[in-house]
Amino acid sequence: MRSLNRSNIKLSLLTLLSTIFLWGCSPAEQQSSPSPDVPEMSESSNTFNGDDVAEALVISTTHWINQRDIGDGEGPVSNEMLTEPQSASGRNWLQYGGDYSNNRHSPIEQLSTENIDRLSFEWGFPSGTLGQFAVSPIVYDGIMYLTTSYNRLIALDARTGEMYWRYDHPQPEDLRLCCGPANRGASIHGDKIFMATLDARILAFDRFSGEKLWDSEIIEYFRGFSATSAPLIVKDLALIGVGGGEFGVRGFFDAYNINTGEREWRHYTVPAEGEPGYETWSGNSYETGGAPAWTIGTYDSELDLVYWTTGNPAPDWNGDARLGDNLFSDSVLAIDPDTGERVWYYQFTPHDVWDYDGNSHLFQADLEQDGQSIKALVQANRNGFFYAINRANGEFIRATSYMEQLNWADSMEPSGRPVVNPEALPSEEPTMRICPGALGGMNGSVAGSLNPDLGLAFIPVIESCQLMQKGLSMFVEGQMFTGGLPIPVDGVPDEIGDVAAYGHISAVNYNTGDIAWRYYDPQPMMAGTLSTAGGLVFTGSQTGHALGLDAETGDVVWRKRLGGGVRSQPIAYELDGDAYVAIASGNFQGIAAFAGADISIPEGGQLYVFKIDN
Amino acid sequence: MRMVKPTALICLIPIILVSCGPGTEPPSQADDYLADAAAVQRGRSIFVGTCAGYCHRLTPEVIDAVYLFDCEWKHGGSDQEIFNTVTNGVPNTRMIGFGTNFPEGEDDLWKVIAFLKSNRAKCS
Repeated sequence: MRSLNRSNIKLSLLTLLSTIFLWGCSPAEQQSSPSPDVPEMSESSNTFNGDDVAEALVISTTHWINQRDIGDGEGPVSNEMLTEPQSASGRNWLQYGGDYSNNRHSPIEQLSTENIDRLSFEWGFPSGTLGQFAVSPIVYDGIMYLTTSYNRLIALDARTGEMYWRYDHPQPEDLRLCCGPANRGASIHGDKIFMATLDARILAFDRFSGEKLWDSEIIEYFRGFSATSAPLIVKDLALIGVGGGEFGVRGFFDAYNINTGEREWRHYTVPAEGEPGYETWSGNSYETGGAPAWTIGTYDSELDLVYWTTGNPAPDWNGDARLGDNLFSDSVLAIDPDTGERVWYYQFTPHDVWDYDGNSHLFQADLEQDGQSIKALVQANRNGFFYAINRANGEFIRATSYMEQLNWADSMEPSGRPVVNPEALPSEEPTMRICPGALGGMNGSVAGSLNPDLGLAFIPVIESCQLMQKGLSMFVEGQMFTGGLPIPVDGVPDEIGDVAAYGHISAVNYNTGDIAWRYYDPQPMMAGTLSTAGGLVFTGSQTGHALGLDAETGDVVWRKRLGGGVRSQPIAYELDGDAYVAIASGNFQGIAAFAGADISIPEGGQLYVFKIDN
Repeated sequence: MRMVKPTALICLIPIILVSCGPGTEPPSQADDYLADAAAVQRGRSIFVGTCAGYCHRLTPEVIDAVYLFDCEWKHGGSDQEIFNTVTNGVPNTRMIGFGTNFPEGEDDLWKVIAFLKSNRAKCS
């Protein structure tokens, strides 16, 4: 008996040692633990009853439902309300771009240079997540709908910040993200709220209770797809595009029935064999052509056209295997919203080898040309040119540089085709600072604004150049497919040029392309802008400040330290005669470093709401 | 029942320690390419075009993918372990295995490993 016991003890010791041995030498992934940013999957939902916070907030829960009567009784959001120009009322902020024009120009006149000193902190709300807090909130019926990085969707009292309901989207651990866990906002129609997710789904919620109404997979995320944009609501459709240009996907954008979640149509941005544009791809490169559609479009209800932009062809920095113009990458497409069919297109950067996605913010503006008013799209493209395009027929009107450093192209042909600087092509041994860098002059992850009274568009600009190195790549579904890399050198001591990265807000006269003024900031500008009828421009900096600028001069008239670097899109709304400005802070270090910005400020999201008492 | 001798336990401990320690890495096909400048250059080109874009950068940067030119390896730093990780991937991450998709098959992957070794920091 004693022998047996000793034997057992020794065997146990051996087993223990073996376990230690195996544990100590096993790969890290076998010692799995949940990511702190990834909420655990839960089948349960909790009912949230305001004061009963302690009972309601259970750690394992990912969904908090509201049962109270909330809102100011404004009723469902109709197509007519979405079509109405923002100038009609400053009460709500109904869409990512303010209204379909995408101009983000609030009609609130008390947000002015005269009153700015009275704009004071009113309430705040945490995201609870890391990564860029990129949201443009929407406000309707006295309720703010907020999304965070990693797809939290939260309904708040727009006056006080009290939380009504919250949904944390459970995420897989192997998301296919090139550039951080961003989400730029929700959208609204009827009594529904819509959000697209990093794992390439689109969901609808009851706007009062927060209950999930439907959940549709856009496509299998693990093939290289994600969705970060707010959906665009047109008629009874929710339009959403996908990211994945760095994974060699075949880009597309979809239309989903807002009542059922069923897909009505899909528009591929790279033609299939035999389709128009197929001839612009050598070999079978069209199969992995990229051209993602990761930012929100805009809609002209009079022309009944949707405008959607597309990103880089894949692989990004090596075009040797995809000779040709690579249609319809880096383009703007005009689409019939009823069918998803293309009506016209314009390509900004044919055969892109710099990662100059065409996905920057689109504005609808009426241009004054030779005494005539032209319905136009204007855009500060990632390639550094500020474009004007006739939005009825796609004709090129003008392109001028809005940057201080632009050297990848020497000029622009009258047809609208850039004349490429042959020295600015990626190479195996790069030595030239190519401007703009891969993030572009204005990145599609941020929104601009436009003041039609002043004729100015307010553009957040990144002045950061990079070396672009070419290499060999092979396509493996779900893997990165870049063909090279951009090498940050600006802001890096002793690197080529030893030039610091910096940023500015540029006020571009969209009728001429001239620069009216610039506000300079020591870091690249990567937050959106908001324009007000009172003559202000709001934005944020990566140094962690909210800024208010005089729209006519660019002078700083208001400045508040928020803490984290600002990557969000500020909005304004007016309730009970009081004017509010909402702006979120929270940066993503990976992209900040990529831009040559300071990465010493910690990550972490916080929404700030400022108010002028009437 | 056969009893385990105490001496067996004593012998096992050094084996365990040796197995976990840095040890001497057996030669691999990557070593054959180290003296071949053209092979290392091809490995570099594949690394630049396939691995370095938004993941394994050429210089240490703030990014979620690991830097591959230092002495820290999450999934094993021997040539064969690197070969296996690249071929099979890492479960539950976006590191998908490349399988046999390299243009010139396994030779290309060994050239990539030769490039990594030729630029790796000296590790004690």
